[in-house]
Amino acid sequence: MKKITSARISQIIFLIVFLILFLMTEYRGSDRIGAAVNAFFRADPLVAASTILALKGLAPLILPGLLVIAFSAILGRFFCGWICPMGTVLDLVTGKIRKTVPLIWLKGSLKYWLLLPLLVASLLNLNLAGLLDPLAILVRALTFFLHPLLGETAHSAWVGLYRLIGDRRDMLDPGYRIIRDYLLPFRETLYPLAFLSALVFVVIIWLERFESRNWCRNLCPLGTLLGLLARLSPFSRVPTSLCSDCRFCAKICHASFDREIFRKEDCILCMECRLHCPKQRVSFHLSGLKPVKGGPIMERRVFIGGLAGGLLLARLFRFRDPSVQARLLRPPGVRNEDELLKKCVRCGECMKVCLRSALYPAFFHAGIEGLYTPLLIPRLGYCEYNCTLCGQVCPTGAIPELPPEAKKREVIGRAVFDENHCIPFAKRMDCIVCEEHCPIPQKAIRTKTVTMTRFSGQQVRVRLPYVVDELCNGCGICENVCPLEGKAGIEVFSLKDKSPLLETTVEEPAEEASPYR
Amino acid sequence: MERRKFLKLIGLSSLFYHSLLRDLAAAEMPLVAVAEGSDHVRTTLLALAALGGIGRFVKQGATVVVKPNMGWDRKAEQGANTNPLVVRAVVQECIRAGAKKVKVFDRTCNDERRCYVNSGIEPALKGMKNVEVKHPEEERYRKVTLNGRVLKEWELYGEALSADVYINVPVAKQHGLTRLTLGLKNAMGIMGGNRGAIHKYIDTALADINAVLRPHLTIIDATRILTAHGPQGGDLKDVRVLNKVIASTDIVAADAYATTLFGLKPADIAVTVAAYRRGLGEMDLRKVRIVKA
Repeated sequence: MKKITSARISQIIFLIVFLILFLMTEYRGSDRIGAAVNAFFRADPLVAASTILALKGLAPLILPGLLVIAFSAILGRFFCGWICPMGTVLDLVTGKIRKTVPLIWLKGSLKYWLLLPLLVASLLNLNLAGLLDPLAILVRALTFFLHPLLGETAHSAWVGLYRLIGDRRDMLDPGYRIIRDYLLPFRETLYPLAFLSALVFVVIIWLERFESRNWCRNLCPLGTLLGLLARLSPFSRVPTSLCSDCRFCAKICHASFDREIFRKEDCILCMECRLHCPKQRVSFHLSGLKPVKGGPIMERRVFIGGLAGGLLLARLFRFRDPSVQARLLRPPGVRNEDELLKKCVRCGECMKVCLRSALYPAFFHAGIEGLYTPLLIPRLGYCEYNCTLCGQVCPTGAIPELPPEAKKREVIGRAVFDENHCIPFAKRMDCIVCEEHCPIPQKAIRTKTVTMTRFSGQQVRVRLPYVVDELCNGCGICENVCPLEGKAGIEVFSLKDKSPLLETTVEEPAEEASPYR
Repeated sequence: MERRKFLKLIGLSSLFYHSLLRDLAAAEMPLVAVAEGSDHVRTTLLALAALGGIGRFVKQGATVVVKPNMGWDRKAEQGANTNPLVVRAVVQECIRAGAKKVKVFDRTCNDERRCYVNSGIEPALKGMKNVEVKHPEEERYRKVTLNGRVLKEWELYGEALSADVYINVPVAKQHGLTRLTLGLKNAMGIMGGNRGAIHKYIDTALADINAVLRPHLTIIDATRILTAHGPQGGDLKDVRVLNKVIASTDIVAADAYATTLFGLKPADIAVTVAAYRRGLGEMDLRKVRIVKA
């Protein structure tokens, strides 16, 4: 029987936990989410490092990440070999992929060219950790591509079944309900950047064609960071190079032994070599802090180039198109765009959990620097008044976790009527579906009944709607339900000053108020 | 029986049953039962009993649809959805009368999961045998020819159309456009498509819909009414606790009576007037028999 390492068992367990937490990142009948996949992000060392640099201070949410950093400095790159779900996925599929020759140009300093600019950009207030973080890549591929694909396929099959056998489908209902409630996304959502997210994930798997754990060894910034920490580890492997009489390790090692000498920053501590050594020579033991063999980590030009790269990233891509900016809406509680760019690790959690599918990844809307940050698109989904899920799952607090009463006062934007389109103004007919749906208890949309002459000459009484600015929190339900096809008659525009709404009572004119009073 | 014997029988019985003739005439007048009490379950049962009991409508083995107002993510005390106790009382009565299946649903305006749960209705019906509380499914909407004044056709929910008994259980609320939303407007909960598009001629459109969808029974929940900032409210100050339940087979009469609870006259509500003009019921409360249960 093939021997299984403890590392492999640990990997499988963490992958299953990851997938379960992913499926749990959804509204499940309670206002509070019990556990979510943000647990992985909070323990992610790259996210922690990047956020600390950006904030120039600590955020309590990412303390678990600091713990992993500390343990990595002691034990080595165990995260890659025992925990990382992306690594597990690669290990599981790599056996099925036939290998050709390793790509030379991927080797060497490329990984430092990726890691350093990322960290330096964070220092300069641009947190791009999530773009290349393996956990974020996995969550985005699942959220934007795989999970909706699964949901759409299952749902189409279910609907197709109804067209085929009609009400007899009810017999299968309990089974479908279980699948639908636990495995499928509730709402069918089409995400922008679905293709890009899927592509990045598929490319990482495709890279396995050249060598196993190709991404982990040569590209992954998280792995690279952990590798740097691993060099500090007091644990060492004996022997430190390939034995002259047997070269078995070079065959079975997933991550290291490209060269004769074993390198600590590559070793993912999977323990395969120790388990399978024909001569039982391999062991990992505490050897104390010794200077590491194998030369300096990187050349000086790579270091300086990395710094410069980070500077360029943070400064060169800041153009924002003003007309797009006017409609750039962020999740509730995000008051400052710069703060968001500092803290948001672009993990995709908030977009997964949003129960009305209101949040979508930005492409160029927020400049290139805003790629994958969350945008609220009211026409597609509005911010449910009593819901606080996005703040609960954000691993860094970029979207603050707020109690419902505080969240209701947070301003996303402000609704503005477009009188060229809005039916009462443009067509002189009644509508006010927006007013009907406004969740503010005092109604941020109110009406004034006026007499108008229709274009046909007929005199009519029409209820004209207007927005009460002091009460509107920009949730977007008005724009969402406007019955006009195409452009809505009311739209939410962004504001520079997003101070929360004050507790205030705005009186209604007597003739429009409820008759019951 | 021969004619003479029959006439003698009628003549004699009218001696003993004084109000026979009046009651015969009253059978033409629609009946609106109004019950009042702080025990909302009991109040609902009283209102049903005053109409002759649920057995009048639900027979053994019937498939029943109970259509409450569950449209909003609001709690029971906020008066935006039908009182869960009222809904449960109705559902329990249907089961007791021998219904094979009772289906409860609504096409919500907010997130359906939140609405079903926070309204208190899904939790109130949890675990009840033969009671199905499901979110509406896209594939079950059917295009129905209405040939109405403003709506030629519309997609209506198949489950509601195919049920043996359709029981309409709205909650009485203020509404910005129609002034009040009662039984007639509750029909919107089974409409598919772009419902917002009918608001420009909503009174006529609702008459078109209700002319096709004729509920067997309308039970208006007036235990807690929303008097302002409807149809979803939010401020408890806008809720008035009246502890009343209104029941009638005549949807227009029920709406007309419920209108008076808000200090308005039936003719003030354009939706009621349009339905009356279409012949869907009686709105003149003098021509309606109101029974206080």
